[in-house]
Amino acid sequence: MTATVHSIVFDNANAIDDAESKPAIRASTFDRRLLRWFATRKWKPFGFQQEVWDAYARGESGLIHAATGTGKTYAAWLGPVLEALDETPRIARVRKSDKSTVAEAKKPSRVTGKLRAKSEPLRVLWITPLRALAGDTEQALHAPIEALELNWTIESRTGDTSASLRRKQSERLPTALITTPESLSLLLCRKDHEQIFANLRCVIVDEWHELMSTKRGVQIELGLARLRRICPALRTWGLSATLGNLQQAASTLLGMNDSGQPNAARLVQGFVPKSVEVEALVPETMEHFPWAGHLNTKLLPQVMARLRQAESAIVFTNTRSQCEIWFQSIIAADPTWFEFTAIHHGSLDRKQRQDVEDGLKTGRYRVVVATSSLDLGVDFAPVDLVMQIGSPKGVARLLQRAGRSGHSPGRTSRIVCVPTHAFELVEVAAARDAIAAGNIESRDPVDRPLDLLAQHLVTLAVGGGFTRDGVLSELRSTRAFFELTDVELDWVLDFITRGGNALKAYPEYAKVVSVDGVYHVANALTARRHVMNIGTIVSDASISVRYLRGGRIGSVEESFIARLRPGDKFIFSGTPLEFVRVRDLVAYVRRAKSVQGAIPRWAGARMPLSTELSLAVRDRLERARLGDFEGADMQAVKPVLELQANRSAIPKFDELLIERNETRDGHRLWIYPFEGRLVHEGLSALFAYRMAQIAPISFSFSCNDYGFELLSPDAAPLEEAIENGLFSSTHLLADILQSLNAAELARRQFREIARVAGLVFAGYPGQSKSVKQVQASSGLLYDVFVRYDPDNLLIQQANREVLERQLEASRLGRVLQRLRESAVRIVHVDRPTPLAFPLLVDSTRAKVSTEKLVDRVRRMTVHAERASRPGAATVFRPTE
Amino acid sequence: MHALDVAGESIELLAERALFISRFSTLVVADLHFGKSAAFRARGVPVPAGVTQSDLERLSAVLNATHAQQLVVIGDLIHARDGRSERTFREISEWRAANSSLHVSLVRGNHDTRAGDPPSDWNFECIDGPLLMGPFALQHHPGAHDTRYVIAGHLHPHITLRGAARQSLRLPCFVLGKRGAILPAFTTFTGGGAYARSDDDEIYVIADGEVLFAHPRK
Repeated sequence: MTATVHSIVFDNANAIDDAESKPAIRASTFDRRLLRWFATRKWKPFGFQQEVWDAYARGESGLIHAATGTGKTYAAWLGPVLEALDETPRIARVRKSDKSTVAEAKKPSRVTGKLRAKSEPLRVLWITPLRALAGDTEQALHAPIEALELNWTIESRTGDTSASLRRKQSERLPTALITTPESLSLLLCRKDHEQIFANLRCVIVDEWHELMSTKRGVQIELGLARLRRICPALRTWGLSATLGNLQQAASTLLGMNDSGQPNAARLVQGFVPKSVEVEALVPETMEHFPWAGHLNTKLLPQVMARLRQAESAIVFTNTRSQCEIWFQSIIAADPTWFEFTAIHHGSLDRKQRQDVEDGLKTGRYRVVVATSSLDLGVDFAPVDLVMQIGSPKGVARLLQRAGRSGHSPGRTSRIVCVPTHAFELVEVAAARDAIAAGNIESRDPVDRPLDLLAQHLVTLAVGGGFTRDGVLSELRSTRAFFELTDVELDWVLDFITRGGNALKAYPEYAKVVSVDGVYHVANALTARRHVMNIGTIVSDASISVRYLRGGRIGSVEESFIARLRPGDKFIFSGTPLEFVRVRDLVAYVRRAKSVQGAIPRWAGARMPLSTELSLAVRDRLERARLGDFEGADMQAVKPVLELQANRSAIPKFDELLIERNETRDGHRLWIYPFEGRLVHEGLSALFAYRMAQIAPISFSFSCNDYGFELLSPDAAPLEEAIENGLFSSTHLLADILQSLNAAELARRQFREIARVAGLVFAGYPGQSKSVKQVQASSGLLYDVFVRYDPDNLLIQQANREVLERQLEASRLGRVLQRLRESAVRIVHVDRPTPLAFPLLVDSTRAKVSTEKLVDRVRRMTVHAERASRPGAATVFRPTE
Repeated sequence: MHALDVAGESIELLAERALFISRFSTLVVADLHFGKSAAFRARGVPVPAGVTQSDLERLSAVLNATHAQQLVVIGDLIHARDGRSERTFREISEWRAANSSLHVSLVRGNHDTRAGDPPSDWNFECIDGPLLMGPFALQHHPGAHDTRYVIAGHLHPHITLRGAARQSLRLPCFVLGKRGAILPAFTTFTGGGAYARSDDDEIYVIADGEVLFAHPRK
């Protein structure tokens, strides 16, 4: 299967000829055996692949960027393979006569002890963000090794790896190991990690664009810094999709040299689509087309019509709930489609996802409704038609998804966007503009996460120990900790040895101990607990869903199951189910006859519109204000924009629009800076806080990418606040910090920090009571730290992360500057406008209040406990 | 403070998270969870100290204010066995020395069975409960008693109040039901529990150092 897919890609490449292949083939780095293997598959190496192989042979490191499935995998993988062929032309390969061994080698993960012992020691580490990708990667990497009869073993080591294989691996690792960032950290916990990595030549990091701006990316940076200490000649190659800041992505991966300069990085560009067409399905009339929400299926008939014309199609959705709803709606519209339509998202069982991926390749499934779970993958199935339900959210994301259609290097990719509310039509038009202008998003690397540093230092302490000076220079060789101060390091060291509060001594606390300047973990229980909680992923408690008769379906959040009563119906994995009972973190279900049921909701940060796309939206609105509605999508949304202009206004580029509205429910301000959700989160807290300084008042607020709503029981002193410097940058930092506290944003951010720094255990099934006794919510811990240890750097980190990442503090200053220079236009509206409506119905709210609690309590009531309805979630009804 | 008549007896709900029965000059508190921070530290979670000390100060303040002769702890005095740290115990011993004339009873809760009884020199009377006092049965777990009105803890009750303009607040509370009451956890180092309100329950929330009746929505 792998071969089929790759041959499509490579054949097409051949069709566009050799214009792409630049450097001449160098005999020393290009082996005839490899060439023969390519020939048997009717493949031919690409120019960019040879460029990587040559660079690798010269000892260089770098970053390869290209669209998914265009030969990046072999560009990175065959460098080390060619090196091995070059080094040992004859001897090391498995002798032909040893046929049994060769036969066994064909089956990945089924390596006999004999072959394992004879195979080359660990040379290549392949890091993948998703353990689900490990299997595919293993197959792809295995193909050339088998053909070239190299004496290599290739295996995965992830959370899914069986205990028996783990045991074998702890005796001897394979020649090439495919693993996740977390599993790499686990290997560093081994006391013999210097020995097991001693022969490492190359680390390849797959999907680096997904990882680099996350703490998992930093986990890789730290891991690489350690590996480079063990093997100074180590080469690092990253694989990435297109980004706005590729050079920075490369230098983040490669780290800093001893003189504090970024290590040299070669950027190699593979194939990127020559052009992309973005089309929007438009509703026939806007009259009943919603202004908000993402779960409606109004355009289902048009979607069905397009799908009918396609041989194969992927329907991308933005959330798992949306995915379930669209799958169900398609089946309900035409039950015969059940045969060839499938669903794919991250909460489904791995076996089912695998089945869907295979089915898409073989043609068994013609239509797959998916989330971003299908965005990544080595084993790549091109399709006729790609659809995007809901907002594209980002330019790079839309490009990547479009790239799965009519796929061949250099040809046009197409994507059909399906808006779920009116303004998404503007977003599609905006995305098209941004693509045409080449405005692709950047991803910012993470700076100095001390929570992760605490985790990593315990990892090193478990894995044989470290000294302060040794670890400091190692840490400063990463981009993330390049500017780590001595004070910060000493605080973290103190945190893991004495609990972070140097003034007090806690004899009962001794996680890491320092003996003669070497930090190590002496307590086996501490080591075991640390190993169990390595990682940076914060997830809600999830419950496995199984049939009574056996068979795992996937997992849903505990909070959803908690709302169900036996007999309640819900839809999951595209199947109507009846809830039977929960036992030991498993929800047992049986198939339900009716098609109606609740759709689970999965919490998860809502993805904001990228800055690039927000800007493009503002641009489109400005054009609309001036009467330019170019494009079918803009034509379609015209009546809604005209209504906005009539009821209120479409704000000018240099104008801040504020709408006021008063109802029985309270007073509302709708404020539209068009700066994206993250900035609005900070701005709304800041505005609420500043207005609440004038008179005691309580606000609840909601944000989206266009603006925010401030809702209060009494009228907010808006005009007075503007006169008193609502947009002022005086005391800005102090006011922001105050407002962050008031809105509890830092408290929320602490959730991740507490998890990573080891304050909150992830927990595991079947845990004992004694573990539960040391579980506290991160919010509670935050409160205790703020009160009894306010100088704790993790608390400061929570503030910093909210400031820098969530609120983009420096941008906030610029935004205020822009708002100060803008004309403020306050419009009283008696009904919500199209721009206001999505904010009005948004139920995710933060709060700021300067009223006394007692005064607030006096105006509030205790509501009767609501009868728990299935999930309180969206209910799917086939007749809808 | 909020005075009420319950089961023919006058009681006071105190914002310090305690209940006072004046006729018996008895202060009732639930869920102190002493040594919880120490237990965290012992398992490698560096929670700062200070909770115990501030909880003890609040306890002294409310004992002084009520002139209570007797203290009844209705369960979960000590959080866990490895929370019995020297520092925590020293702080409690010092508090006990300063309040030596006070009669203290512990009705054991689920944590106490694991964590063990307090040291004998604290001079706490430990029983499995319920402790009967006038019309009341003082016990750890909420539940019905054949002849008495139950005063219990264990659940760490919190309640969410709602108001106009989507305002909401979650606060610790006293729950007064038909056949029993539930006290808020005395310690502040604890989250909200699993209390689910039934329509008969009267709720008194603690806010800004006051105890306020929470009006049910009409």
